[in-house]
This record gives sequence, structure tokens and C-alpha cells, in this order.
Amino acid sequence: MTDALYLAWRYLAYHKVKTAILVTSITLIVFLPVGLRVLVRQSEEQLTARAEATPLLVGAKGSPLELALNSLYFEGDVPETMRYAQAVRVDTSGLALAIPLYVRFEAQGHPIVGTTLEYFQFRGLQVASGTGLTMLGDCVLGARVAEALDVGPGDRVVSSPESVFDLAGVYPLGMHVRGVLDFSDSPDDRAIFVDLKTAWVIEGFVHGHADLSAPEARGQVLQRDSTNVVGNASVVQYQEITAENIEEFHFHGDQAEYPITAVIAVPPDQRARTILRGRYSSPDDLVQIVEPTSVIDELLDAVLTVQTFVIAAVAVVGVSTLATAILVFMLSLRLRHREIETMRKIGGSRASIGWVMVSEIVVVIVVGVVLAGGLTVLTSRFGSAVIRAVIF
Amino acid sequence: MYRPFMLMISASFLTCGGGDARPSTGGSEVDIPAVYTVNYPLQYFAERVGGDLVQVEFPAPPDVDPAFWTPDAEAIAALQMADLILLNGATYAKWLAVVSLPESRMVNTSAGFEDSYIYLEEAVTHSHGFGGEHSHEGTAFTTWLDPTLAVEHARAIADAFAVRWPEYEVAFASGFESLEADLLALDRQIAEIVARDPDRVLLGSHPVYQYLAARYDLDLHAVQWEPNEAPAAEQWQAFEALRADHPAQWMLWEDEPLAQTAARLREVGVEPIVFDQCGNVPRAGDFLSVMRQNVENLRRVYR
Repeated sequence: MTDALYLAWRYLAYHKVKTAILVTSITLIVFLPVGLRVLVRQSEEQLTARAEATPLLVGAKGSPLELALNSLYFEGDVPETMRYAQAVRVDTSGLALAIPLYVRFEAQGHPIVGTTLEYFQFRGLQVASGTGLTMLGDCVLGARVAEALDVGPGDRVVSSPESVFDLAGVYPLGMHVRGVLDFSDSPDDRAIFVDLKTAWVIEGFVHGHADLSAPEARGQVLQRDSTNVVGNASVVQYQEITAENIEEFHFHGDQAEYPITAVIAVPPDQRARTILRGRYSSPDDLVQIVEPTSVIDELLDAVLTVQTFVIAAVAVVGVSTLATAILVFMLSLRLRHREIETMRKIGGSRASIGWVMVSEIVVVIVVGVVLAGGLTVLTSRFGSAVIRAVIF
Repeated sequence: MYRPFMLMISASFLTCGGGDARPSTGGSEVDIPAVYTVNYPLQYFAERVGGDLVQVEFPAPPDVDPAFWTPDAEAIAALQMADLILLNGATYAKWLAVVSLPESRMVNTSAGFEDSYIYLEEAVTHSHGFGGEHSHEGTAFTTWLDPTLAVEHARAIADAFAVRWPEYEVAFASGFESLEADLLALDRQIAEIVARDPDRVLLGSHPVYQYLAARYDLDLHAVQWEPNEAPAAEQWQAFEALRADHPAQWMLWEDEPLAQTAARLREVGVEPIVFDQCGNVPRAGDFLSVMRQNVENLRRVYR
């Protein structure tokens, strides 16, 4: 038995290229469906964990998936906005803590998340360096953003205009980096957090400019009477909030009408959760309430369907690869008939020669399976980090 | 806005961690909740309602008008750690619009009487871009000068305390009732004094007496003078013009005016008296003693 294994090993070691091709084929045949399953399961866990940690989402009627992706992962298209009054509605219902979100703008490719201080407590986010949000115009960076932009407390980040062709649109706002959050292994790592009011500054609903009623602002006034001053196009809004101009910042219109993309509703118990859901059941309501777990489960169902097709395809490829490997072994036997004849002439029995041939096949299969197992272990260990890097 | 359930939920957040240290009673066996206020009247009301059960802090320095003060980063950090932040509402403390504070721990103590807010008529609006006309002025905010509104502030505080710390509800109710009795006594006294001459015309050195005037139907017109600054010539001219229409013999001041200002006022037949709005911690006494002194000063006017 040992002799047969030794001879098989020597043969495989001598024909390195052929052996490597066979082992690689076996490894891939085994690893691809198993590894894919592991990756999909880990993706599921990552997505589901974030959704499970978010009890309810309130947003404008439209795609629940868009709402969930934007609010949980700061990904995808910006959902329809709704009035801030909807956050007040959740708040005053007495059924849940309301955490408003306005996820629309970006700074150098990173999403700007406008929210309230409750968000940080809700997600358990801690400041690693610097401080939390303090004044209008401040921002706090997720760990990955700070790393990618190479900025930290005391630095400045500028919001990106939504369109380079929209000259009259959203002004870029220079934001002061107050702090950097601890690495949280979540989408929060690649977000820039600002106070909701700062997000409204970016949009222009809250802004600062020179006092139009002051005599020195005469050149910026289009029309003036005893009760109203109309500014002309030369009124320049401040593009950075400083200690000198912060008092000039003011709200235009009713804050209740300002836009937000979602409200995270955190009810204290199941009863409050059910009652709150019931309050949004009217078809005439302009907003919807969704359970992120349901939305993400639906998404994962679709992913699982695709996964089944992929695994079926991999299985077909695997079968054909296996058939090719068997053919390789059979052709190899035919090509090796002189070698087999020699083994027989020097006294090898049919059984011994058969053992050598079988041992070669077994060694190739075992090595291939072991390598596939190793790759699967690596995938399960580091796959989640790769998934997070890709998803988050 | 008053949000009882939200306070409960945010309370449960706090107990669940988040890792922040509270600015309260380190070292003591019982962790006394930290309550922050945006002006002194609210601090006084909270202390009367909460007694020793809460630690009430008012972070503004003594030499500023809290309505126009902006807290520094250190004060904001302390406010962010507070268990409860009591707001005056009625656009008081405009700095609230430019700082980040935990919404769920803020209570607008005048939310219950928003329909009683007095909107400033003389504010100049402006417009540019989208959003239409708007004003930077807002509403009159010295709501506590109407003792009945002060009672409503105190009631909102008692309710907020009871929701957040229900185990002390009886003690809070008792503190509130005692305060309510004192405030309503003030109300009765002022009403009795004013009733002696309801048509008496008064002047105010500053536009801060709107709620007082509204409560007692006072014929009061205000200028914009500061007690520690001598009025300029044009301000005296405007004053004379105002007096032509409103021949008042008494002028309410937030604090003692400069001697030269008082002398010139007396020359033209106007006697200055102090009616301290008490927005910040008084140099002596407390809110009630200052208001009682105000009542005594007012008694001179209607003698």
C-alpha cells in the first residue's frame, strides 16, 4: 500500500503541470459552489444584521427597497423626499423615538448623512478622535472616510455640487471636521455625518448672507419698503460657517416643510410598533412605513433565486470538468501502457499496478478537496470583510 | 413640543449605554439627573419643581443676556450630555438653531401655549431666492413676565420630570403646586395694582414687556435703550415724538439706568422704575424675590 502510494506520488511529482491542472480543476469544482454559498450566507447576515437593528423606517411612498438601501446603507438612488413634519408626526405620536435622515448629498464620493445626535446613540457609534457634532457646519467622519480622504479633526471637507452644469443649484459647503468615529464595521464607516440643519444649509433652506437691512448692503437690494427688503442676484450666500458669520444663518420658511428622506422609528415595544404601523395603513397617506427586515428579506429572496441558477451553472461546469478529468486519466492510462507493461515484467501484480493508478487519482482528488476546504475556510474568515468593503 | 413617550424611550437609550458620561453628581450614591435650562426663570422653576431630585444647570455666564448669548463648545458638550434640556420657546435663544443638541431630550416648555405667542409687528422681512419673504425677528420671548404663562412653563417642567422620573411624580407635583401658588399670588397682586388705573400710559426702555402688557392690558410703548448706555440725541428725539402720542410719566427699565439718563428723564417728567425681566441669575435673591420687588416698584406707579 505504501509502495503504491510512493510510486503514485513520484509519478505526480514528476508530471507537475498535468498534476497541477488536475488538482486545480478538482479544487474549483468543489470550491465554487461551496464558497459561493458561504459568501451569499455572509452577505445575507451582513445585510440582515443592519436591517434587524433598524426597527421601522418611514419614508415617502415609492420603492421600499430604495428607501431601505438609502437609509440603511446610504446606497442607491435618493428616494422621494418627505416633509420634516413627518418626523414630528412620529415624534408626537408618542409611539417611537424619531430619528430623521436626509441622505442626498455627497462629498468627494462619500454620502453626507444629515441626522440628529440620537442616531449616534442608536447605532452605538463612538468618537475615536476629536468631538461629536457641535455647531452648524460641523461634520463627523466615518473611519473609512477619514482614511480615504486622509483628513481628521480640524480639517475641512467640501460638499460636492449635485451637477456641474447646475450653476444656480446647490452651493458647495465647506464643513469643519469635528471628529472621526471609531471603526464600526458598518455602512457608517464610509459616511460623513452632519446635523440635519447642516444638510439643509447645503440645500440652501438654511443660509447666511449679509444683513440686507444694513446700509452697507445697499448694492444687494432690488427693492425696499418699510416692511420688506428684496435682495437681488448679487446676494452671496456664505459657503462656510464660521464664528464670525454663524449668527447670520437663518431658516427660510417653515422648518416643518423642509425635506428629509426617511425617519428611523424606534418603538419601545411590540405593541407600540404595531400601533404605529397601523397608523400608516391608509392608502391616502403620502408616506409609508416599512420593516427593513421584510424589505431586505425580499431582496435576499431574489438574490437566492439568482444564486440557485449560478450554482446550477457551476454544477454543470463541474460535471463537464469532472468528465474531462476522467478522460485525462483514461487517456493517461493508454499513453502509459508501456510503463504499465514494464511494471508487470519486473513482477508487479495486476492488483499492485491497479493500486498505483488508483492512488494517483485519490491523491489528486484528496489534494484538490483539501485545497477547496482551505479556500472555503479562508472565505468564511475573510469573506465578510471583503463583502463589507464591497457592500459598505 | 412636549413628548412624554419620546422622553421615556430616550431614557431607555441612556440606560442602555452609549458610553457617555453624565455631567451630574459623580461620587454620590444616587446619580442625580442633570437638567439644563436656557434662561434663569426656567432654572428657578425647575429647581422649585424638582427640588433636590434634579441638578439644574444654567450655563450662561452672569453678565450676558441669555437670549442673545451663544454657548461655547464646552457649554454645548455639557448640554449634549444633559438628561433634559428645558427650552423657553417663542424664538428665545436663537443659538439653538446653530448648535447640535439631542432633540429627544429637549422640551419646549411653552409649547402648550404657542397660540399665546406675541408676534413682533415691526420686524422687517426680506426675500431673495426661494422661500419667499421671511424675517429674522420672530416672536416676543419674555413669556415668564406674564405669571400665568410662567405657571404654564412650570407645569410643562413638572410634566416632563414626571414622565422621565415617574418615581418622583408626587414630589414634582408638590413642588409645582407650591410654585404655582407663588406665581398666581404675583398675578393677583399685579392685577390689583393695575386695576387702580387701567388707562395709565407707560413706557418701556426695551421691547421686553409684551407679555406683561398683554396680560394686564397695559398701554405700554417701548423704545430700545440700554440701562448702561446714555441714549443718543436721535434716540431722545424719537423718545419725544413717542411721548407726544403717549404722554407717559413712568418708564419701566430692566435695570437701573445711568444717573444722567434718569436725571434727564425726570427733567421731562418721566420717572424711571425698574421692572427686571430677570432673564439671568439676579445679583441678589431669586426669581420670586425679584418679581416681588418688581411688584413693589409697580405699586409706586399706580399709587
